Amino acid sequence: MIEFKNVSFEYENGHKVLNSVSFSVADGESVGLIGANGAGKSTLMKILLGLLPYEGEVTVDGLRVEKKNLPELRRKLGFVLQDSDNQMFMPTVYEDMMFAPRNYGLSKVEAEERVDGVLARLGLTELKHRYNHKISGGEKRMAAIATVLAMEPEVMIMDEPSTALDPLNRRTVINTVNGLGMTKLIASHDLDMILDTCTRVILLHGGELAADGSADVILRDRELLEAHRMELPFCLAGRI
Amino acid sequence: MNKASQARTELLNMEELASGTSFIHGLHPLTKLLVTILYIIVCVSFPKYSLSGLAVMVLYPVFVYQASGIPVSTCFYKLRFVLPLVMAVGVVNPFLDTAPLLYIGGLAVRGGVVSMLTLMLKGVFALMASFILIATTKADAVCAALRKLHIPDIIVTLFLLTYRYISVLIEQVAVMSDAYALRAPNQKGIHISAWGSFLGQLLLRSMDRATELYQSMQLRGFRGEFFYADTAPAALRDAVFAIASATLFFTARYVDIASAIGGLFM
Amino acid sequence: MHMADALIAPAVAATMYSASAVTAGVCVHKLRREDAPQKLPAMAVMSALVFAGQMINYTIPGTGSSGHLCGGLLLTGILGPYAGFLSMVVILLIQALFFADGGLLALGANIWNMAFYGCFAGYFLIYRPIMKSRLFSARGDRGSARIKLILASVLGCVLTLQLGAFSVVLETSASGITELPFGAFVAVMQPIHLAIGLIEGLITSAVLIFVYEARPELLPDVRSGEGEAKASLKSTLLVLTLVVAVVGGGLSLVASDNPDGLEWSLFGNAEAGYSENMGLSEEDFGVHSSAADKAAEIQNSTAILPDYSLSSNPDSAAGTSLSGLVGSAVVAGLTVLICLLGGFFRKKNRCANS
Repeated sequence: MIEFKNVSFEYENGHKVLNSVSFSVADGESVGLIGANGAGKSTLMKILLGLLPYEGEVTVDGLRVEKKNLPELRRKLGFVLQDSDNQMFMPTVYEDMMFAPRNYGLSKVEAEERVDGVLARLGLTELKHRYNHKISGGEKRMAAIATVLAMEPEVMIMDEPSTALDPLNRRTVINTVNGLGMTKLIASHDLDMILDTCTRVILLHGGELAADGSADVILRDRELLEAHRMELPFCLAGRI
Repeated sequence: MNKASQARTELLNMEELASGTSFIHGLHPLTKLLVTILYIIVCVSFPKYSLSGLAVMVLYPVFVYQASGIPVSTCFYKLRFVLPLVMAVGVVNPFLDTAPLLYIGGLAVRGGVVSMLTLMLKGVFALMASFILIATTKADAVCAALRKLHIPDIIVTLFLLTYRYISVLIEQVAVMSDAYALRAPNQKGIHISAWGSFLGQLLLRSMDRATELYQSMQLRGFRGEFFYADTAPAALRDAVFAIASATLFFTARYVDIASAIGGLFM
Repeated sequence: MHMADALIAPAVAATMYSASAVTAGVCVHKLRREDAPQKLPAMAVMSALVFAGQMINYTIPGTGSSGHLCGGLLLTGILGPYAGFLSMVVILLIQALFFADGGLLALGANIWNMAFYGCFAGYFLIYRPIMKSRLFSARGDRGSARIKLILASVLGCVLTLQLGAFSVVLETSASGITELPFGAFVAVMQPIHLAIGLIEGLITSAVLIFVYEARPELLPDVRSGEGEAKASLKSTLLVLTLVVAVVGGGLSLVASDNPDGLEWSLFGNAEAGYSENMGLSEEDFGVHSSAADKAAEIQNSTAILPDYSLSSNPDSAAGTSLSGLVGSAVVAGLTVLICLLGGFFRKKNRCANS
C-alpha cells in the first residue's frame, strides 16, 4: 500500500535528514516508527503526506506522491498531529469534524451522520458541541483522532499520539488505535505504546533505516535499541 | 493571577453564560444583534438633559437579564474599560455648564450635573446591552449573524480562527508571564531588555503554528472554503421580541413616559 | 484609545462605519486577488498573538509605570497592510464583543482610529519608505536594518497614535457629547498619546528586531527589493483620498446638523483614570497633572456663565422635571418588580426540574 524507494531529503543549507530510505507497508499493517530526536521520523511522515519535496519515489496504492496526485492521495491519508491545538482549528469539535467531509463534497446531512457515527463509536458523543479550547488534554487528543476518522482515511498516520496524557487517557487512546482496522503508521518515543499497538517496527537513525522487522523482535533487542539512543520498553525492562 | 489568566477566565465565564437555554438564548443571533444595536442607538440619541426619558430605557436590559437568568451584577466588572473615558469626558460638565436646569425643594441643579449623569447612564446602558448580547450568544452564533449581514467570508473565517487561537495564545502568555515573574519577583512587568524577545519568541512559535495549521487544513481537503455551524432560521418569537423591543425604545424616545407617569401622581 | 458607545452620536458612528467598511472592502478585494487561504492561518494566529500580547505589561525604564501594545504596525510589518488591517478589525470586534472594550456602535470609529491609521498611514507614510530607503547603509545590512526598524516603528507608531487621538477628539466633539472645548481636549489628548506612541513604537521595534535577527524572511519590507511597490502605493493613496473625502463630507454634514457640538468654545479637561488605563502614570498625565491644572485655571478665568442664575419662573420648570423624577421612581419600582418576578420564576423552575 505504501512504498518508499531510495527516498532522500535535505534542507536548502545541505543538511541531510533522510538518506536513501526504502521500505514498504502492506494493507492493514500497523507499523511503529521509532528513532531518537532528529532521526527523521517527522520528515518521513511529511514526505508521505506530500508536504515536503523529496528525491526518490514514494507511492501510495501505486500513486506517486507528487503535486498532481495530492488531492486524491490526501483523501486516503489521515494525519493526527502531535499538537491537537494545531489539528483542530475550528471553535467546536463538531465544526472541526465537519471540515473534512464537507470539503470532500458530502452534504451537510451526510457529513453530520458520519460525524455522529464516529463520535458514537469512540464514545465521545457528549463532546460534540463543546469548544475545542475548553476540553481537557485527553478529550482533545481523542477529538483530534475523531476529526481525522471523520474523513474515513485508508491510512492513519499519527505523530506521538500518547504524549502528555495521563495513564488512563493513554490507555483509551491505545485501545482506540487498536480498534481501527486500517493501515497505521505511528511515530512515537513511547515504546510501550508501540509494543501495544504495532506488529512491525521501523527504526530510523541519522536519516537511515537502522532496523525493520517484527515489533516483538526489535523492541526486545536491548543492544540494538541502546545503540540508537533508545531503551527497552518499561514493561520488558524487568524493573518492576 | 496575571492579566492574561484573568482575560482567559473572563472569556471562559462568558462562554459558560452563553451556553444557557433560556428564551433569550434561543432567539436568533441576528435578532439579538439588531435589537441591541437599535437599543444603543436610541439610548445614545437621547438629548443631553433628558435624564428621566433615558431612565425608562433601563427596562429593556433589566427585562432581558431577568428573562435570560443572568445576574445583572455580572456585567459591572466590564465597566472598567468603558467608564474611565466616559467619566473623563462627562465629569467636567458640571463645571462648564453651570446654568440651573431644575429646582428640587429650592435647590438648583446645574445643567452640567444632569448632562453628566445622562452621559454616564448612556455608557452603562450601552454596556449592559452589549454584554447581555454576548452573554446569551455563542461565538459560532455570532458568526452566523455576521454571515447573514453579508460580511465577507474572509472576515468571518478570520473571526472564527482568531477566536479559537486567542485562548491558546493567552494561555501561553499567562505561562510565560508566570515563568518571568518567578525569576524576577521585584519587577512589575517585563524589563526593557526582554521587550523584544518575550513577545518575539512567541511570535516565531506562532508563525510555526500557523504553518502547521495550514498543513492540517490542506491535509483535510481544504480548498479555501469554510463550513460553519448553521443556526435555526428566525421564528415567530424573534419577530415578537424585536417588535416589542422596538416599540418600547421608540415610545421611550418620543414620549416622556417618566413624566407622564409622574403626572398621574401629582 | 477605544471610543465608547456613549461618546459617539449615531450619525458620526455611521460615518465612521462606512469609512471603515470601504477600507475593509478594499482589503478583502486585495486579499482575494492574492492567495488569501494560505494567509488566513497566519493572520488568525497573529491577531490572537497581538490580542494576547496586550495582556503583557512592559516596564518603562525610569518610571514606575508600564505600557502595553496596541499592535497595528506590528501586524502590518509582518502581514502587510491589507491582511494587517483585517486582523486589527477582528481584534477590535472581539474586544468590543467579549471584553466590552470599545462598543458595537463605536466599532467603526475604533477601526478607523486604530486599524486604519496603524496599517495604512503609519505603514505607507513612514514604515515602508524608511525600510525601503538606503539610509544608514554605511553600517552594513544588519546594522542599517536595526536602526531603520527602530526609526520606522517609533515614528510610525507616534504618527498613528497622534492621528488616532485627534480623531477621538474630532468624533467626540462632532457628536456634541462634551462641554469640553476642542482646543483643550486636543491639548491634553495629543501629549498623552505622544508618550503612548513612543512606548508602543519602542516595543514594536524591539519585537521586530528580534524577529529580524531570528528569521528575517518573516519581514517582507526589510529585504531591499524595489520597484514593485510603486503601483500599489499610488492606488492606496487614491483610496486614502477617497475615504478622507467621505469622512470629511460626512463629519461636516453631522456638524452642521449639530452646531452645538462644534461650539468648541469652553475649556478644561480631566481625564480621570484614563491615562492610567492607557498604562501611563496618573501623576504625569492624569486629573491632577500640571496640564489639567492649567486647563482648570483657564477655565476659572474665562467662565462666562454665573454659578447661580435664579430663574424668574422656577415653578414651571421644576413642575415638569419633578413629575419626571416621580416617573423615574415608578420606573425604578417596576425594575425591582421585574427582578423579583424573574427570581420567583427561576426558583419555581428549579423546583419543577429537581
